[in-house]
Amino acid sequence: MSANPQKPGTDPKATEEPGSVPKGWSPELEELARRRAQSQALGGAEAVERHHSQGRLTIRERIAGLVDAGSFQEVGRLTGQGRYENGKLAGFTPAPYVMGLANIDGRPVAVGGEDFTIRGGTSWSGDRKKGGQGGFVEDLAHEYRIPLVNLIDGSGGSVTSITRRGHSVFPGVHGFEQSVRLMGEVPVVCAVLGTAAGGPAGRAILSHWSVMVQGTSQVFAAGPPVVERSLGQKVTKEELGGPAIAVDVAGTIDQVAKDERECFALIRRYLSFMPRNVWELPPRATTGDRVDRCEDKLKDIVPRNRRKPYDMRRIIESIADQDSVFELQPSYGKALITCLARMNGHVVGFVANNPMVYGGAMDVRAARKQTHFVELCDCFHIPLVFLVDVPGFMVGKDAEAAATLREGMRSVYVALQATVPMYTVVIRKCYGMAGMGTTDKNGLDFKIAWPSAEWGSLPIEGGVAAAFRREIAAAPDPKAKEAEIEAQLRAHASPFRTAEAFGVEEIIDPRETRPYLCRFIDAAAGRLATTVGPKPKYGVRP
Amino acid sequence: MAAIEVKSVVTGSVWKIVASVGQNLAPGDEIMILESMKMEIPVIVDDGGVLKEIKVAEGVAVSEGQVLAVIEE
Repeated sequence: MSANPQKPGTDPKATEEPGSVPKGWSPELEELARRRAQSQALGGAEAVERHHSQGRLTIRERIAGLVDAGSFQEVGRLTGQGRYENGKLAGFTPAPYVMGLANIDGRPVAVGGEDFTIRGGTSWSGDRKKGGQGGFVEDLAHEYRIPLVNLIDGSGGSVTSITRRGHSVFPGVHGFEQSVRLMGEVPVVCAVLGTAAGGPAGRAILSHWSVMVQGTSQVFAAGPPVVERSLGQKVTKEELGGPAIAVDVAGTIDQVAKDERECFALIRRYLSFMPRNVWELPPRATTGDRVDRCEDKLKDIVPRNRRKPYDMRRIIESIADQDSVFELQPSYGKALITCLARMNGHVVGFVANNPMVYGGAMDVRAARKQTHFVELCDCFHIPLVFLVDVPGFMVGKDAEAAATLREGMRSVYVALQATVPMYTVVIRKCYGMAGMGTTDKNGLDFKIAWPSAEWGSLPIEGGVAAAFRREIAAAPDPKAKEAEIEAQLRAHASPFRTAEAFGVEEIIDPRETRPYLCRFIDAAAGRLATTVGPKPKYGVRP
Repeated sequence: MAAIEVKSVVTGSVWKIVASVGQNLAPGDEIMILESMKMEIPVIVDDGGVLKEIKVAEGVAVSEGQVLAVIEE
């Protein structure tokens, strides 16, 4: 659809005698073209130049950089503040929000973002909001059941509105209710592309996946002036909410991009794994990778020495379809790795413990990461593959103070509520409550293991000292006694013995992992199609 | 010549230092091995460079985020 179906001023019927009443609609169409041109100019050349000089793109450049070329159909181009002289339009300031319908990889999305070049992208409301918090763009995503992409670059509400309105506005007049509804219906992606505080910062969190840009974006509940006034702390924007805090330490935002271009590529990549909505299945792709590909390097990738870690990412990459792995939150909660990927073209979610960090023990950040990822995959019907090497929950004073036990149990709770098919592959350790959270208790409860696998309610070396305390203390050589008991118990711990009892359904050669999993993921695809739709949640998370 | 701080990803202790100051390190080389959660966690160089300084000794406790060594690219 072209923006100007016919070039204004070329219609021969438009020529009218001065002073006469026009026969056609040419004057109005000319005005329409003029008004559209004014909205294209955003906050004016000077404001746009200032914005560019900070290394930031305008909202129109952002949308153009994100969506399929030429696919953006804007809605609300005439919205703004007109200035009139003698009843004639003398000037026009567009509303500081640009939005509409576009395509990403040929699929429709609702996309919108604040225009920072107009009053810093502060909120604007006419008869109906365009977007930002509620508004048309969210209604579009909800009604048409299409993904929503928020390009956030606004400072939200301003105290100055109190003088304009003559009263203060109750929190939530333009609330988050539609944003919350969308979280169970369609993929929501938020990009923080400037300094986001207050409402826009909150909106960024109400998403399935979020991204910010190195050097030009920060996110916090309140910025440095408020912090100084409230707490007397002097901090810079970057120290308070740059990616080193928001992404790496807090996990408030999922990912950081090196610039805006990379940010748009990441958004497109994320959405390529997602269905349009929860009533559909994720799109299957042809990846050209052979299902029976068996990687030799998997055979001895796990060291026999139980104290030595290995590279779990190499295992994921060897199993998944080539070049299909997209890691989420790579710099947060590093004891756990979460990836969207494909297996024989089907979208799957990998949850893998990382033995390089705390031996893969689930700390509070890893638990939060797993909770979110399992819920995400369950919501969008993405089967989960757990690559398990978890000695249990993280221990120690810091871990207890951080509520690891509660966050850990929350992740177990969410996994036990999920109904999407799950595949448990025990690579090495699978212990305790954290181990329990890696199994498909609402489904087939299908657990396969590598020969290096070991499991139990707790690792033998930790448990012996506690369970045989008196015996060990009474022995002439306590150290030797402890080692002796450990050796006795370990003899029973072979995974083959559990397989005899069918306590684990299969033990496989590590090289067979890909073909084995692909076979069952293919087989479950039909069942997945019968259980699409929203996933209502019952009960209270611990 | 940018100085890069190598930080600990875990809380634990320094088990063994395997590189020495002045040594040329390639990406993937180990500087030291930490012990945490009964595992030997190698401290690996992401980008190569010359090892300028080792800030910890064997046996000492380290916390997550602590600077362990400095490398000059």
